[in-house]
Amino acid sequence: MFALIPLFPLLGAAVNGLVGIRWFSKRAVGLTAVGAAGLSFAASVAAFAGLLRSAEPVLVKTLFTWVPASPIRTAGGTTVPFALDLAFRYDSLAAVMTLVVTGVGLLIHIYSVGYMSHDRGYARFFAYLNLFTFAMLVLVLGANLAVMFIGWEGVGLCSYLLIGFWFTKDSAADAGKKAFITNRVGDFGFLLGTGLLLFALGTIDIAGITAAAEGGMLAKGTATAAALLLFLGATGKSAQIPLYTWLPDAMEGPTPVSALIHAATMVTAGVYMVARLHALFSLSGTAMTVVALTGAFTAVYAATMGFVQTDIKRVLAYSTISQIGYMFIGLGVGAYAAGIFHLVTHAFFKSLLFLAAGSVIHALSGEQDMRRMGGLRRRIPRTYFVFLVGALAISGLPGLSGFFSKDEILASAFASGNTLVWGLGLAGSAMTAFYMFRLIFLTFFGEERFSGETAGHLHESPPVMLVPLQVLALLAVVGGYVGLPHILGGGAWFGRFLETSTGAHESHLAAGTEILLMAASVAAAAVAIFAAWTIYVRRKGEPARRFAERFRALHRTVARKYYVDEAYARIFVGGVLVAARVADWIDRRVIDGLVDGAAALARGVSRLSILFDEGVVDGAVNGVGRVHLAASSLLRRLQTGFVYNYALAVVLGAALVITLVIVVL
Amino acid sequence: MITLAVFIFFAVLAVVAALLVVIQKNAMHSVLYLAFTVLATAGVFFALQAEYLGGIQILVYGGGIVVLYIFVIIIVNLKEIVPERRGLVPKLFLVGVPVLLCAEVVTLVMRTGFPSAPSGPEGPGFREMAEMLFASYLLPFEAASILLLAVLIGAIVVARRRHIDDPD
Amino acid sequence: MIPIEAVIGFGLIVFTIGLAGVLVRKNLVIMLMSLELLLNGVNIILAGLGRHLNSPRGSIFALFVIINAVSEAAVGFALVLAYFRHRKSYDTDSLNELKG
Repeated sequence: MFALIPLFPLLGAAVNGLVGIRWFSKRAVGLTAVGAAGLSFAASVAAFAGLLRSAEPVLVKTLFTWVPASPIRTAGGTTVPFALDLAFRYDSLAAVMTLVVTGVGLLIHIYSVGYMSHDRGYARFFAYLNLFTFAMLVLVLGANLAVMFIGWEGVGLCSYLLIGFWFTKDSAADAGKKAFITNRVGDFGFLLGTGLLLFALGTIDIAGITAAAEGGMLAKGTATAAALLLFLGATGKSAQIPLYTWLPDAMEGPTPVSALIHAATMVTAGVYMVARLHALFSLSGTAMTVVALTGAFTAVYAATMGFVQTDIKRVLAYSTISQIGYMFIGLGVGAYAAGIFHLVTHAFFKSLLFLAAGSVIHALSGEQDMRRMGGLRRRIPRTYFVFLVGALAISGLPGLSGFFSKDEILASAFASGNTLVWGLGLAGSAMTAFYMFRLIFLTFFGEERFSGETAGHLHESPPVMLVPLQVLALLAVVGGYVGLPHILGGGAWFGRFLETSTGAHESHLAAGTEILLMAASVAAAAVAIFAAWTIYVRRKGEPARRFAERFRALHRTVARKYYVDEAYARIFVGGVLVAARVADWIDRRVIDGLVDGAAALARGVSRLSILFDEGVVDGAVNGVGRVHLAASSLLRRLQTGFVYNYALAVVLGAALVITLVIVVL
Repeated sequence: MITLAVFIFFAVLAVVAALLVVIQKNAMHSVLYLAFTVLATAGVFFALQAEYLGGIQILVYGGGIVVLYIFVIIIVNLKEIVPERRGLVPKLFLVGVPVLLCAEVVTLVMRTGFPSAPSGPEGPGFREMAEMLFASYLLPFEAASILLLAVLIGAIVVARRRHIDDPD
Repeated sequence: MIPIEAVIGFGLIVFTIGLAGVLVRKNLVIMLMSLELLLNGVNIILAGLGRHLNSPRGSIFALFVIINAVSEAAVGFALVLAYFRHRKSYDTDSLNELKG
């Protein structure tokens, strides 16, 4: 049953892509795509229900055998039969992921019907969107690293296609390439990690790896190496340090793309992967630390950039990077379920924020710069409302989903003794609240800074766009209650549900400590919001401007994204260019020299040949002619024209012949 | 015996007449001596017991060709005498070569002998000749008739007077 | 009996005379007459051989020679007539249009 889940989007993509682009009406395309997404969601729900009822925690469905069992030698010296199947695995983790992907995906599909209605590439967009959904589902349903990698690559490809959707725009095409290439670096790590595991264990099956890791068959060093390599792939896909640079540029794509791929799904693939392989990661304390610290630093680092960005979508992009950092924090301290929990809630409120931002942009006829917004609260109140809900959720307002998930992560971090990580997380939390509300205040409050012409076209989004927003807002509010922790009266069902996939995790915190931590983060967030309000509403942004002037260098550095992109360009791109120049020199000097030399040689030979031809050959031919002329002028004289001469010749000839006869005989 | 004498008489006559033919300046005289030669040759044939041949010789050669020559000379009015402008040395040469040839042939003949067949005093019969002519040599015979026909037509074509609107 | 060598000898003499005549004389008509002498000489030899070998073949051959002589004479005269009308002269030295 669950194997059907990826089938519908694949069909939708095929139909829209092959037939729809040419022959379908807009309505037909929309129906196909949304229908496919809807059916996929329905299948996910059905599968989920089936899992709840079933006694088995894990269901595996093999589609076909790819590599039949063949014995290979492992590093340990044993010979194990290696078999590779195209197989799907459905368990609680997969259930959660598929529900999120198909559910949020469905809402975004519906939203896109309205958002992309004026675009010429309407059918192409939906084909890509469906295709992406398919790839993502393959990724989360993969029963072994190979199938997962197929989905991994597939989402990378679709990300490229969708970021560069408006490929006639140079910046969009470049952004697509940047995303793909950066991802590629990460993929390299993924492949190496897979290879290492294969070499060590003789299997790349999830079940097999988990069993080997828990059974102690994996050496710690190997586990660390494999985990770190795989984590490199995760940083690429999930936009963490050091491979995050593509995500802000990816905002060149249409807003629904940013919402789906770069908030809810593709960027969470790395998180999913680490959670899947939790057994492996748990073996290596080093790897775990790396994961946690990377997440923490990224969370803070990205948040700082949210302070100075002026493009509404870019703020959200850095916010995404930051929030994913939180997810990795959760994973890094062993609270896998917490990390996944935050993944789910983040999917709700981040896609909500993106889509709402899309609504704002749509209302302002394409304006994305916040400096030219303002006062929209009164103009597009519905959009403002859902936006506010999202911002509150991400800031961790108690009662909203973000609060529960973020808090669980921070609590686990504190509990694991990793105070640095917890501290960074708390700081990041405050910063998140600050820049989010900076965004809100700049966009919806204050005086209207947009042109009169834009004002003329200002309108609220159509229902096809607003309704998904409202559904997401609802989810952002109530979605957290599935994970309500014990101390607040809940049953922490979410965590328990995921136990079957991610292992149990007990957080040994006293109730009091936990409440204290919660209070701390809430307080931090509240302070941040107040500060933002003061600066941007009460003082109309004056303090911010003066700060920027006073610390101009600092401001510029942060605004220029710490010049990381430039550094990368210098190091990597520059390195390649140097190599290319060397190669060019070799080509021109050495190789062309050889070629020219050969040509000169050929020329010399040909000149010799000409000499021979003209002198010897032509001489012979002409000589023959000349001899002929001489001979003929001689012989011509025999033709006197006189008959008697001829008769004489005959007679003479006869005489001669007879003479011969006489003499010889 | 008598045959030999007859033969020698006619042979000598033929040679002398031939010589005269070639030497004459006047064409009409040459023709006369040609007639003599022909008749003498016919006599030789008779002496050699080739009677048929001798008869043909007189009829055809004498009655035909010689007459033809005469007619031609009359028609073209061969009055002027073409001056023989050849020098002496060329003449010697031109005469010498045939003589040489003759000598050579003689030498050749002398060397190789002759197969002899028993020959009766009558020589080959007329009857046998006729039989052979119409049996073994029928094809050449017929071919000769065709040749004569062709010559007839050809000579007329070549020698006729041309009119202005002649297609030739 | 007539010795065959004598016959051949006479024939040859006549033949030679005719040959010399052809070569020496410039007058076209006399040249043609010398040709007849040639043929006559040949006929003599043929007749003699026919008798010597006791075969009618000699006569037959000679007959054909005569036929040929007749043909050639007829055509030759036709040509002479044609040429004379054209050139008004039988100087064979002037018959040199085939001079190469």
